[in-house]
Amino acid sequence: MLTYILRRSALALSVIMATLVSAFLLFFAGPSDPAQAMCPETKCNPARLEAITKSIGLDKPLIEQFLTYFKGLFVGRDFVYAGDTVHCGAPCLGFSFVTRRSVNEELFTRFPNTVVLALMAAVVFVTVGVTFGILAAVRRGSASDRGLVGASQVLGSIPYYVLALLVALYPVILWNVLPQYSAISAGVGPYFMGMLAPALILGLVTSASYVRYTRNSMIETLSMDYIRTARSKGISERTVLFKHGFRAAMSPIATILGLDIAALLTGTLITEQIFGVDGIGRRGLAALRSFDLPVIMGTVLIGAVVVVVMNLVVDIAYSFIDPRVRLS
Amino acid sequence: MPEPSAATLIEESEETSSTTPPEHQEVRTGRSPGQVAWARLKRDKVAIICSAIILFFLLVAIFAPFLVSLEAVDPITGAKADPSTVHTELVDFNGLPTVGASSAHWLGVEPRLGRDLFARWAYGARPSLIIGFVAAFASTIVGVALGLVGGYLGGATDKVISWIIDFFLSLPILLLVLAIIPIMQKRIAAGNDLTPEQTSAIRFWVLIVILVVFGWMGLARLVRGEVKSLREREFVQAARAIGVPTRSILFREILPNLVGPIIVSASIAVPAYITYEATLSYLGAGLVEPTASWGRTIADAQNLFATYPLWLWPSVIGLSLLVLALSLLGDSIRDAFDPTSRR
Repeated sequence: MLTYILRRSALALSVIMATLVSAFLLFFAGPSDPAQAMCPETKCNPARLEAITKSIGLDKPLIEQFLTYFKGLFVGRDFVYAGDTVHCGAPCLGFSFVTRRSVNEELFTRFPNTVVLALMAAVVFVTVGVTFGILAAVRRGSASDRGLVGASQVLGSIPYYVLALLVALYPVILWNVLPQYSAISAGVGPYFMGMLAPALILGLVTSASYVRYTRNSMIETLSMDYIRTARSKGISERTVLFKHGFRAAMSPIATILGLDIAALLTGTLITEQIFGVDGIGRRGLAALRSFDLPVIMGTVLIGAVVVVVMNLVVDIAYSFIDPRVRLS
Repeated sequence: MPEPSAATLIEESEETSSTTPPEHQEVRTGRSPGQVAWARLKRDKVAIICSAIILFFLLVAIFAPFLVSLEAVDPITGAKADPSTVHTELVDFNGLPTVGASSAHWLGVEPRLGRDLFARWAYGARPSLIIGFVAAFASTIVGVALGLVGGYLGGATDKVISWIIDFFLSLPILLLVLAIIPIMQKRIAAGNDLTPEQTSAIRFWVLIVILVVFGWMGLARLVRGEVKSLREREFVQAARAIGVPTRSILFREILPNLVGPIIVSASIAVPAYITYEATLSYLGAGLVEPTASWGRTIADAQNLFATYPLWLWPSVIGLSLLVLALSLLGDSIRDAFDPTSRR
């Protein structure tokens, strides 16, 4: 068991390191002139170019720049720019020359909004997806089963951003059925109400695949011999379904759930953009528009770490549930 | 195309020589998975409706110039409609169009620039379809090649390939793609003064390359797993024992067994790439003006959605319907290849 965890962790660490190196190369060596690329203006004046070059050492060899960045991740670093000294605590992800703040300040203050949105969506898609999935499995072959599967296929097939956009434009902005997003400083009630529309649409669209997962898993479980045994013993159908069937059917769903929540933490980008939720995805997109490379890189790194760590947690958790995976 | 294997040869000869009376047709022996799937697909109503919708959009894309030429000559400009000519005389000083939907402009004209919306819509089908099919084709080839190599060779090569797959799968792809596209574009365009058309064309191909670079992993993993189990099977061992060269083993023995999963994966990839392109265009990293694209039109039109819905809706409907039809057809193809699915 321990060797499995160690091997799996080493793999995860190597992936994170590779992401770090390739992201660094992409953003610091990718542009033909990194200092110009990080400058807020399209034609940067020489004094400012030099200030940028000096503050993050762009004139030094690439390997040294990387080591400085790497060290900053563990002990933090200070940026001297335009007469100010900005301290960036560990894990320091860099400094934005556009907003003159550390990337940490830009991103970590917004991360909770993304987490709230992802978790609210998760509540929606788990309840809706699992409930309808079981319903479809129990009434397999009936009209309601076909209707549910068909609806989930259609919902899951239309481009997500088009659906989200239409929900944002019509019920939220035009008809005011659901309130628009407001920051938490405006009150907890309006904040959660504003999250409702984005969480609902994100959750409903994601639930489409859960309906099918749950249905298939449940159908497979219900065709097992031990379910027939349970039924023949005269146990009530309710107990058979929930105590014997549901529990066994849920273990594959639990794995997918972990990975999907990780994907959501980085994948709420479109939802945040369309509904104006002030999360890291929206911040990353804004950084893209101003070509604020350090912020984009920070967002990519946070996303990669979240996905890799969640993958690791799910794999290890699953190896406890199902010991066979450890051996493969 | 792989050479017909022994199984299909026998079965073809059976079919050609068969003068079996109808009552014996129930006894079906030795049909290839592809033929079974094809037969099931032909009976699937959803698949047929979806194919018709896809065909409609293909025809719109191919005959876009002809369709646009059917529109009447505009009485104000005195010119035939085309997707790129700006007609500021058709909009008022607020940028709102002064002409509505008419025989000269079936869907009206674009606010601010006065371009013909039907022409933009018809030409907008082109980039979606080209990107979808080209990217799906290219990423299928990359995925199959890497999966075959990794799965068959095993050892260190396999370890490296699976690590690369794991690595790519853990990247926040959408964000990375959004960041890479402008960087790559600036690299390519650096120092040259390019016309908007050239910039737009560069962006188009950059987009396809990036979509392929980040889109091959799923299929590669699938193929790798299948090949790993196939290479231990008797027919492959036998081929190796009589000294068949590795290339022939890969392409004549193993690959024909993977046609089902590869077709399924490719058919699901097409709508995924079209969605991706539209999403990127919407977020500002996809296609750029003056290329007509549904994703761009939706992004531009959302600001005037309440006052001028005719700008937004044709692209929304076109994109949704095309992607929906392609996805449902993909689902049908998957079901047709899946022996356990009985709908």
